[in-house]
Amino acid sequence: MPPRDELLDDKGRLRGPWRRMLGTLLGLGTEALRERRAEIDRALADIGAPAVFARQEAAHWRCDPIPLLLTETEFGDLTARLAQRATVIEHMLADLYGPRRLLDLGVLPPALVYASPFYLHALRGAAVPRQMGLYAADVLRAPDGTWRVVADRTAAAAGLAYVLENRRVMARVLPELFRHLDVAEVRPFFDAWADRLQHLAQAGQDAPGLALLTPGHEDARWFEHVMLARALGLAVVEDDDLTVRDGALWVKSLRGLQRVHVLLRRQDGRHTDPLELHDAAVAHSGTPGLLHAMRNGTVQVLNAPSSDFAEAPALAAFLPQIARALLGEDLSLASVPTYWLGDPGQRAAALTDPETIILRNALDGNAPGRPWQLMSQAGRAAALAEIGAHGERYAATMVPPASAAPCTGEGDTLEPRGLVVRLFLIADGQGWRALPGGLARVLGEGDIPTGPLPREALSKDVWVLREEGDIVGGGGNLAAPALPIRRVAGDLPSRVADNFYWFGRYLERLDNISRLTRTLLARLARGAPLPHEVPEIATLSACLAEAGVLNQEHLTEKLDYSLAQLLAAAITGDAGPFARMILRVQGLADRLRDRLSGEMHQSIRHSLRSLKGARMALRGGRRVEAGLLMDFCGRCLEFSATVAGYAAENMVRGGGRLFLDLGRRVERAQAVANHLRHALDQPPVRIEAGLALALELCDSTITYRSRYLNVVQPAPVLDLVLSDDGNPRGLGYQLTQARMLLAVLGGGEDAELALLLDPLAAETRLIVADLVAASDQADAAAAMMPRLHAIETELAALSDAITSRYFTLLPMRATGQMVLA
Amino acid sequence: MIYFLRHETKHEYGHKVDVAAHLLHLTPLQLPWQRVLQMHLHVEPEPSRLVTEVDCFGNATTWLFLDAPHAQFQAVLEARVEVAPRVPPAPAATQAWEDIAATVRAGGPAGHRAAEFTFASPMVAPFAAVHDYVRPSFAAGMPVFTAIHALTLRIKREFAFRTDVTEVGTPLAKVLAQRAGVCQDFSHLMIAGLRSMGLPARYASGYIRTRPPPGGKPLCGADQSHAWVSCWLGAEHGWIDFDPTNALVVSDEHVVLAYGRDFADVSPVSGVILGGGTQKIQSGVDLTEISP
Repeated sequence: MPPRDELLDDKGRLRGPWRRMLGTLLGLGTEALRERRAEIDRALADIGAPAVFARQEAAHWRCDPIPLLLTETEFGDLTARLAQRATVIEHMLADLYGPRRLLDLGVLPPALVYASPFYLHALRGAAVPRQMGLYAADVLRAPDGTWRVVADRTAAAAGLAYVLENRRVMARVLPELFRHLDVAEVRPFFDAWADRLQHLAQAGQDAPGLALLTPGHEDARWFEHVMLARALGLAVVEDDDLTVRDGALWVKSLRGLQRVHVLLRRQDGRHTDPLELHDAAVAHSGTPGLLHAMRNGTVQVLNAPSSDFAEAPALAAFLPQIARALLGEDLSLASVPTYWLGDPGQRAAALTDPETIILRNALDGNAPGRPWQLMSQAGRAAALAEIGAHGERYAATMVPPASAAPCTGEGDTLEPRGLVVRLFLIADGQGWRALPGGLARVLGEGDIPTGPLPREALSKDVWVLREEGDIVGGGGNLAAPALPIRRVAGDLPSRVADNFYWFGRYLERLDNISRLTRTLLARLARGAPLPHEVPEIATLSACLAEAGVLNQEHLTEKLDYSLAQLLAAAITGDAGPFARMILRVQGLADRLRDRLSGEMHQSIRHSLRSLKGARMALRGGRRVEAGLLMDFCGRCLEFSATVAGYAAENMVRGGGRLFLDLGRRVERAQAVANHLRHALDQPPVRIEAGLALALELCDSTITYRSRYLNVVQPAPVLDLVLSDDGNPRGLGYQLTQARMLLAVLGGGEDAELALLLDPLAAETRLIVADLVAASDQADAAAAMMPRLHAIETELAALSDAITSRYFTLLPMRATGQMVLA
Repeated sequence: MIYFLRHETKHEYGHKVDVAAHLLHLTPLQLPWQRVLQMHLHVEPEPSRLVTEVDCFGNATTWLFLDAPHAQFQAVLEARVEVAPRVPPAPAATQAWEDIAATVRAGGPAGHRAAEFTFASPMVAPFAAVHDYVRPSFAAGMPVFTAIHALTLRIKREFAFRTDVTEVGTPLAKVLAQRAGVCQDFSHLMIAGLRSMGLPARYASGYIRTRPPPGGKPLCGADQSHAWVSCWLGAEHGWIDFDPTNALVVSDEHVVLAYGRDFADVSPVSGVILGGGTQKIQSGVDLTEISP
C-alpha cells in the first residue's frame, strides 16, 4: 500500500481543516510564504539553540510553516490508547523492579531483562511510588490508517521545549492561520504539569523543593533542559549542586542546604549515583546516595532512573502479552511489527523477508537502527553471523511507510514528506493527560524513523483542532496554588553564583585591557613620542604586561618590532588575550543562560558575535591601522558597559546580580591599585606625568579639572583615585560597593567578609592623609608603592575568601579499594 | 565449627575529609549452613547517619554518612560465626551442564532467578578468549559438577597466586594472558568463563580461615578479604561454592559476607569522599577457629 496522505479522508476527499489552512497559507502568495519561512528560521536561530548545542553556528532546529493537523476526535482516540500503553509500561516496570511475575510466568525471557545495562539492580525492591511521570511515544500512521508506535520514550523524552518554541514562533509569524482554526493551546499542559510537581513536592513539611537535573551545559540537550525548567518553574541543577545528607537530597545553595523533594531527571539513569551504579562511578557522574534517598522516600525522582529500561526496542514484541498478564487487557495501540531475535520463532519470522527490516539493538532504544536494505552484502553476512551467535542482542522492526503531509520544499513547491510524531503524556494524579500537540519530525530521504530525535531536523508543529470549543484532554483550568513569595539571594546554587562572579570579573578584565590598550595605542599613534610621553608609555606597557597582554620580555629586551605591532597581534591573534577573554565571557554567558533574561542573553550573544566579526575583519591586512585597533578597543568597552547597563536595568537586584557586581568591583579595585602603583613608579620629578596618567586611566581627568583646574598634585589625585568613594572608577568606590554587596549577601548574620574591607578603606584614607602631611608630596607619593602593592595582595586574599565562603564545590570522589588476596 | 572473625579497614587521608558516604557489605549472611552468633560493627568517627538495608541480592548493607571533618576512617567488624560442613552432591547425580544452560535460558519459574547470573555484569563480561580457555573442561553431556570442579582445579594448577601483578581494576584479558593474579581475579575469570558457557555464576565475598587445622596445609588469601565462585547446579542442588584460589569445594572453612554478580555489587567497603587529598588504605582479616 502507498503511504497514507494526511490531507485526504478515507474516501480520498481533501479534509476540511486542511483545506482552510492551506487556503489561507497559499493565499499569502509564494513570495510571502518564503519570507515567513525565513522568519521562522531566524526566530528559532535567535533563541540560541544552535549556540548551546555546539560552538559551530551551522546546525539548528527548524520548523516548517505548514503544521500537522489532527482533529480532536482522532487525537483523543490516539492518546487514550497511548495512555493505556503508558499504564502497561508503568506496571511492567513496577513488576520487574518488584515481584518479577513476568519472569516467573515466562512472559519475558531473562535475557531481555537481566542483560540490559539500563536495568538497575540497585533499585529492585525499592518502594518507588512511581516509575514514570512523563511518557512519550514516537508514532506514525500506517497506510491502513491506523497509528503505530515506533518507539516508547520512558527515560527523559526530548522535544517538549521545542513544542513550546515551535508554537510560540508559529503564533508570531503566522497569526492568520490561527484565526481560521480553533487550535488547542499547549501551555495549559505545562501549567498542569507544574501543578502536579508542586503537589508531589508538598508532601513534606518543608517548603517544596523542585529541581530539574541536567548533565550540564556540555550536554547536547542543555538548551532544552533550561527552557523546560523555565516553563515549569524549576531550578536547574547539576550533579555538583546536589548532596545527600541525613538520607535526603539537598541543593548546595549560598544560604546552605535546601531540600529537594522532586527531581525532574534529564540525566542518564545509569549515571545518577556513583555509590551504587558502576557506570556512574566510571563516568564520575551522579550524586552519591541519591538512590538511597529515593529508597528512603525523601525524594521522588521522575522519571525514576530505573525507567530507562523500558525503552528497549525488543520489549515491543512482548507488550501485548505483558498487557494481558498484568492488566488482563488487550494492548490497544500496537507497535510497528517487532521481533526479538533471541527467540527462534521470531527470528525465523523476521528473516523470511529481511529486506523490510531495520535491525536494532534489542536493549538500547537510542542506538541507531540499521535498515537491511542499506547494508552491503558483507554487512548482511556479518549481521547474520552475529544474529546466529547472539540473537538475544537484536530486535528487528518492520516500519511501514509513514503517512505524508505537505512540506515547503527547496523551491516554491510543496512536497509530501513522511512524518513521525512524538506525543507526550504526564501522570497528573488521576491518570495520563496528553499534551494537545506534539512534535512531528519530517523524514528526509533515507532517514530512519527509529532512534533519537536528531539535533538538526525539520519539524512540524502539531495542531489539535477543537471541534466543540472544549480543551482537549480536559482539566487544565485547575487553580494553581499560590507560590510563596521569595526574594532572597540564598536560593542561588553555589555553582551559578561562582559563574556570575567570574562573569563580572572577566567582563571587567576585558574592560581593563581594552582601556589600557587603547590608551597606549593613542600615544603610539602620534609618531615619535615626546619626552613626557616616554614614561607614560613605559607605565602603560608595565600595566599591560601585568594584565597579560604584553610579555615581560617585550618591555626589557631590545625589540625588532614595535609595541604597536605587538598590540595589533594581541588583538587579532586567535590565541591572543582579547580572543581568549571574549571566549571566556561567551562561555560564562552561555552557562548562565538559564539565569539571564532571554533578551539579555540574546543581546550579549549578538554583541559578542559582532565583536568576533570585528576582530576577524582586522586580521586582513599586514599592517593594521592604529585607529581601527582603537575602534575595536572602544567596542569592547562599549560591550562591557552595555552588559553592566542591562544588569542594572533588567536583572533583579539579588542573587546573580550581586555576584556579577561583586566580581566587577573586586576586579576593578585590583586594576586601579595596580595602575596607580605603576603610575607612581617614577622618579619624583616625573611624578606629575604619572599622576596625569592615573587620572586618565581612571576616567577621572575631567572630574579632577573641575575640582583642581590644571594643578596636578599627588594628594588630591590620590584622594580622587584612591579614597573618594563617590568616584565610580576609583578604588574607594569599589571597596565601599564590595563591602555593601558582601553585607547584603551575609544577610546581617555573616559579616565576616564585609569586615575584611574596612582596614583596606582605612588604609586608602591613611595614604592620602600621609601625603597631605608630607613635606614633599612627590617623594612621599613615590614611597607609596609598597603600600599599594599590599592593597593588591589583600584584594587577592579577599577574592580567595569569597571563593571559599561561597563557591567551594569540590566534587566528591571514590575512596580507594583494598586489593583482595 | 565456630569462628571468631575480625576485619579491620582503615582509611588515612592527607587532608581532612569534609563529607563522606560509605556503603558497606560487611555483615555475614545468615544461611542454612552459616549462623551469625554475635556481631559488632565499630565505626570511627561516629557517623551522623547509619542505616542498614537489604540489597536486591539479599545481602545486608550498611550505609554510613559522615558529615564532620575527619582525617581517618575506620570500620572494624567482629563476629562469632558458626559454619556447618556442606556436603556437595555426588557429581554423577548432577545434570548435564547443557541442561542447566537450557533451563536458565528458557527462564520461567525454574530458572529465571539463577539466569540473572548468566549475563555480563559491571566487572565481568564474557569474552572469546575466556570462553576458549574454559571450553575444554566442558565435554558434551558431562555432569555440571564434574565440569566445574575440573575447571576449579585447572585454574589452581595453571595460574600463579601473586599479589603484585593485579589490582582491583585489572582487565580479565590481562589476568588470563599472564596466568597470574589473586582470588578476585581467579573468581572473576571463572565467572566470566562459566557465563560464556551459559551457566549461572555468582561472586562470593567473604573470608577463609587464617590458620589451617593441625596437619592441614596453609590456605591462600587468608589474611585479607577472600573471594570465590558460587555456581547454580539446577533446582535440586541449588548453589554450590567453588574456590579456584585453593582448588576447593567450599565446606566449612569459609565465611560468606555477600553474594553478587561480581565484586562491584558486594565490595566490603566502598565510598565517596569530599576533600581528603591522598588516601592510604589498610585492612586486615583474622578468622580463627574457637571451637570445633
